[in-house]
Amino acid sequence: MTFLAPGFLLAALAAGAVMVALHLIARDRPPRAPLPTARFVPARAEQAVTRALRPADPLLLVVRVLVIALACLAFARPVVEPSKRPVARVVAVDLSRGVGDAAEARDSALALLEPGDALIVFDSSARAVSGAARDSLAGVATSPARGSISAALIVAKQAAVQLGERADSVELVLVSPLATEELDAATAAIRATWHGRLRLVTVAARPDSAVGRLEVQAGADDPIVVAATLLGRSFAGADPGRVPAAAAPAARIVRRRPVAADSLLANAGAVVVWWPEDPAALGWPARTNPDTVGAVIAGDAVVVASFARMVAPPAGQSTVIARWVDGSPAAIERSLGAGCVREVAIEVDPVGDLSLRAEMRRLVARLAEPCGGTRLLEPIGDAERAMLAGGGPLLSSRAIAVPAGEVPPAVPWLLGAALLLALAEPLARMRRGRS
Amino acid sequence: MRRVEDYGVLLDAVRGVRWPARRKVTGALPGAHQSRMRGIAPEFAEYRPYRQGDDPRRLDWRVLARTDRAYLRLSTDRSILATMLVVDASASMAYPPETLDKWQCARRLAIALAAVAYGERDPVGAIVNTERGMLRLGARTRRGVVGELARMLDHVHPGGAPALGNAARAAMTSGRVVVITDFLGDAEALLAVAREHTAAGGEVHAVHILAREELDPPARAVTAVDPEDDEVARTLAPATREEYLSSFAAWREGLARDWRAAGATHTAVAADEPVARAVRRIVAPAFAGAAP
Repeated sequence: MTFLAPGFLLAALAAGAVMVALHLIARDRPPRAPLPTARFVPARAEQAVTRALRPADPLLLVVRVLVIALACLAFARPVVEPSKRPVARVVAVDLSRGVGDAAEARDSALALLEPGDALIVFDSSARAVSGAARDSLAGVATSPARGSISAALIVAKQAAVQLGERADSVELVLVSPLATEELDAATAAIRATWHGRLRLVTVAARPDSAVGRLEVQAGADDPIVVAATLLGRSFAGADPGRVPAAAAPAARIVRRRPVAADSLLANAGAVVVWWPEDPAALGWPARTNPDTVGAVIAGDAVVVASFARMVAPPAGQSTVIARWVDGSPAAIERSLGAGCVREVAIEVDPVGDLSLRAEMRRLVARLAEPCGGTRLLEPIGDAERAMLAGGGPLLSSRAIAVPAGEVPPAVPWLLGAALLLALAEPLARMRRGRS
Repeated sequence: MRRVEDYGVLLDAVRGVRWPARRKVTGALPGAHQSRMRGIAPEFAEYRPYRQGDDPRRLDWRVLARTDRAYLRLSTDRSILATMLVVDASASMAYPPETLDKWQCARRLAIALAAVAYGERDPVGAIVNTERGMLRLGARTRRGVVGELARMLDHVHPGGAPALGNAARAAMTSGRVVVITDFLGDAEALLAVAREHTAAGGEVHAVHILAREELDPPARAVTAVDPEDDEVARTLAPATREEYLSSFAAWREGLARDWRAAGATHTAVAADEPVARAVRRIVAPAFAGAAP
């Protein structure tokens, strides 16, 4: 047993000693003795200091000392510590889009786990996985979401508080490719709250597809083909069925309705951009009042031109990736397998120099970005690794304080017993008065 | 049970002590005390001229023959003085509780005074007021009266708070009344009765019994409780001791003054004082009243 506030034990000793002294030197009515001439004693003296070698009332003294002892014991917050093992681990395994092989990350994490350890799975959010659910990790794949080491650290710290009750030290293991995009502005501050070293297990990252091959299936004089050509990324205008699987593009822009091959490509993780020459082909609802709009915005790409706006985006869950200048969606994204399909309702006039302008090239690049936005999958630098790993010993379980307000289980019982004795104290005093 | 022989040492100590009446008595029976009556006793007192109606047999024929004048020869009569002892047996006399010094002193004083009075051939009786009523032993001169008194007192255990004034009033038929008490009961009523008796020519002796613990209480702090009244419970501590002593002394002085002013004698007796010495102080008016 240990005490979270041992100072109260010293206070109990001091208060108990004072109580005993008060019982030995009490200002109270001295013992009664018959005296026929008592009427000549002045009536004003009601009390007198008496000293004794033995306490005036042992039962009352015991009750009072017990009240003090139990109350101080409760305020000292006793905690019964079970038998502890030397080290417990919190293993946070990354299953975000930055992980190249989910099986590698999973196997690395399971190899480190021992009974009683905590497992945390994270991508953009983190969650603790109970022991019964660990077997289901075998079929888990990476998610398209960006990884967040900050979220993993927060959940890991919560799990460490529980593990600290069963181990002397807690080791945090981070199984991750440690991609740049997984750090954010809060990561360093959150890491600083973990006062121990952190073990980093690096797994292979997914190859960066942001600069992968862009394929545009359209005629040679198509303005999108022109813009893509000027973008500098390789493209081909061949039929989709002729593209070998090994040379599958990271993004494909089609001007016609997507076919099964396009769906297969998207399902494998690529981006398929359906950008018909006539937006009505998208099947979006027609606008009640067709109009023109002066600009379209996609990320940092802003194209100022006169665009005819004939359709409106359909209702349903989708992600807007480009908007007209008035804020209404101009292009949306739907997830499909590991990739996505984007529908673009921007009609590009083949006449004119729009396809030759730099902002048009940026718009094409933004629309052909990998699903989920820009990916920064290059490994973090040495400074960031050092910040994450930290130094010094493992985190001691004593350093993981019980959160303020959490009451050890013995405290209510001790306070209840003290209260009962406090209620019994007047009875003991009445008994003393009668005697 | 004690017998009167158990008081042998005490009775021996007071043997020969005289207890003369403080004034001439009016008794008819011959005794040891000077009587107000002038009779025909052999002890010559004076001559008085013969008046009509006097008994001619009391004429002194020798003076008549020598001087031709008729004179009566008068002599001083001596009479008895019935003595009644009124003994207080209230709870305040049972003090200290361990030794009952006050009661023992009162009991032995009563026996000793009875023996002294009996030695004067005076009738001796006693009234003891107890919580169960008065115990009365009528004044008599027969042999063994002191033993009867001793047996009666041996059976008494002081307690309660009986009124002493009624007992004293019942004793006022006797010429001499001795009140043995601590005056912590109905002292005013007792004093009134005594005043009436002395005014009627009686003789009253007040014997004030005091325990040493009352005169010099222990220094340790106690809650002093009146044994006759539980409501009176006061703390006697070093801080209040001096005030208690002065208050108690003033009360004793006032009490003695009042009783002497009423024509009685007042003798304060400490419970640990030798009884024979106290008896001599009581029966000798010149020493009466000396505080212990």
